[in-house]
Amino acid sequence: MSELIKVKQQGEARCEGLSYQDLLDNETIEVPAYLREDTNPYMGDEDLSVDRWISRDFHELEKQKLWPKVWQMTCREEDIPEVGDHHVYEIVDQSIIVTRTGENEIKAFINSCLHRGRILRDCDGHAEEFVCPFHGATWDINGNFKGIPCKWDFSHLDQKDMSLPQVKVDTWGGFVFINFDQNCQSLEDYLNPLPEHFSRFPLHDYYKGAHVQRVVQCNWKVGAEAFMESFHTLETHSEILTFTGDANSQYDTFGDHVSRSVTPMGVASPHMPEVTEEETMRDILELSGRMATDNAEGHAMPEGLTARSYIAETNREMFSELIGEPLDQATQSELEDAILYMLFPNTQVWIGYNGNIVYRFLPNGDDHNSCIFETMILMRYPKGTQKPEPAEKNILRPDQAFSEAPEIGGLGPVFDQDDSNMAAVQKGMIASRKGAVSLASYQESRIRHLHQTIDKYLNA
Amino acid sequence: MAITDTLIPAVDISDKQTVPVTLNGKNILICKANGEFYAVDNQCTHQRAELTGGRIRNCYLACPLHGVRFDLRTGQPLGELTRVPLKTYDVSLADNGNLQLELD
Repeated sequence: MSELIKVKQQGEARCEGLSYQDLLDNETIEVPAYLREDTNPYMGDEDLSVDRWISRDFHELEKQKLWPKVWQMTCREEDIPEVGDHHVYEIVDQSIIVTRTGENEIKAFINSCLHRGRILRDCDGHAEEFVCPFHGATWDINGNFKGIPCKWDFSHLDQKDMSLPQVKVDTWGGFVFINFDQNCQSLEDYLNPLPEHFSRFPLHDYYKGAHVQRVVQCNWKVGAEAFMESFHTLETHSEILTFTGDANSQYDTFGDHVSRSVTPMGVASPHMPEVTEEETMRDILELSGRMATDNAEGHAMPEGLTARSYIAETNREMFSELIGEPLDQATQSELEDAILYMLFPNTQVWIGYNGNIVYRFLPNGDDHNSCIFETMILMRYPKGTQKPEPAEKNILRPDQAFSEAPEIGGLGPVFDQDDSNMAAVQKGMIASRKGAVSLASYQESRIRHLHQTIDKYLNA
Repeated sequence: MAITDTLIPAVDISDKQTVPVTLNGKNILICKANGEFYAVDNQCTHQRAELTGGRIRNCYLACPLHGVRFDLRTGQPLGELTRVPLKTYDVSLADNGNLQLELD
């Protein structure tokens, strides 16, 4: 049992089904402390005004006080593997060139020419130096000014600092983060306790097996919130209830920046008491998109075994083979459950030994009524072999379905179901006469947590 | 259509390498990406810089000057700097192991 403090929510109302902690009691392998955390301080039950998602003023406040202050994930280190490789990261109306400047060094420059202000780089790529496409002012990849044509006309710049302005950069788990605030807390402090919780999953050594992006017609927070509770499974994804413990999910918050949901898999929903173990086993293989195999053919439930155990052991065997090392210490929970962390404000990462899903929700430029939804799948590869190249980003058109991206497999149809709500939520909130939303006390507590942390930034 | 057989041996090009050749007065760039050979006009459609030495990653060639990336399979550019595709040529392997091109 973890030494860390546990705070029970006021009221303590929970689903009557088996809790996640009950399921952990059945593990035969020692359960790591982070899974035993059960931390959900009561945060209130007040309605939240729809202005938070639909008003221009709220978006402007986020623009002034949120995005300039938070650590934000820009790309994977593997996206910029060689010196000179760079990623153009855009957030609302800001643009940053995230550049590899050394084998173990990344810098992030304000993407704006110090001559006439044109953005220096229009897109991701590789550069020996940054040459402005307008008049040719040039910087080396470390941001040192190298000159401009017709230098005789610019002697007034000789005494000025012409180095490209930089923002803070740091990395964790193979992700590159930036922060515009020169006085911000360290990334390490900001992430706490994420690195400790992910210590069994060396994400920095995973490779990006898929990366899909599409614009969705809703505020970025509506998008993020679609993945922060399992309550919607019953109505939105009813086909996965035979193997998803939706109502007995656990929700935790850790400090201001981290929260998680744990949805037990390989168990039927408490809403469906009649489901057999055989049905659970078959459906999770065919429909979840996250197991070691997506074909139930040839799989039969051995007598006396639960679907949860059978699937976990199947995953253990196949994942071990895939990565070339035994997963003896993996709990069944880590091998199959949906353990999803959110890093404030807009990045979400799944726990797991293979096929870890990552979500990111970015405002779509300066538009508060649409966002850019991205999903990546981080994969393992056989120990001792060369790390595969990361997948190119597949940018879907706004009219395309996520199921048109074959690289995300079974997730595509699930995202399409979520997508059928996201734009409709935005539209419905605009039409609302109530002018507010009401949240479930427990199951939607992570959404309240997100908004309370946003308020801390906006009121600072 | 004219097929040339005067190009360099395929084995002389390594992955991610670019080799400029002149054919019928045209400056053409031979590229190898992911084991496949490609040929494109050796002139960026943005500001006409030579593409020789441009970095190749996956199937994309980046212009060394301002970084426009072109899909070597189709010639289509990414990003905002240009919307004009690069002209591409079919490359095949001759019996003698040399690369050959199909010119219009």
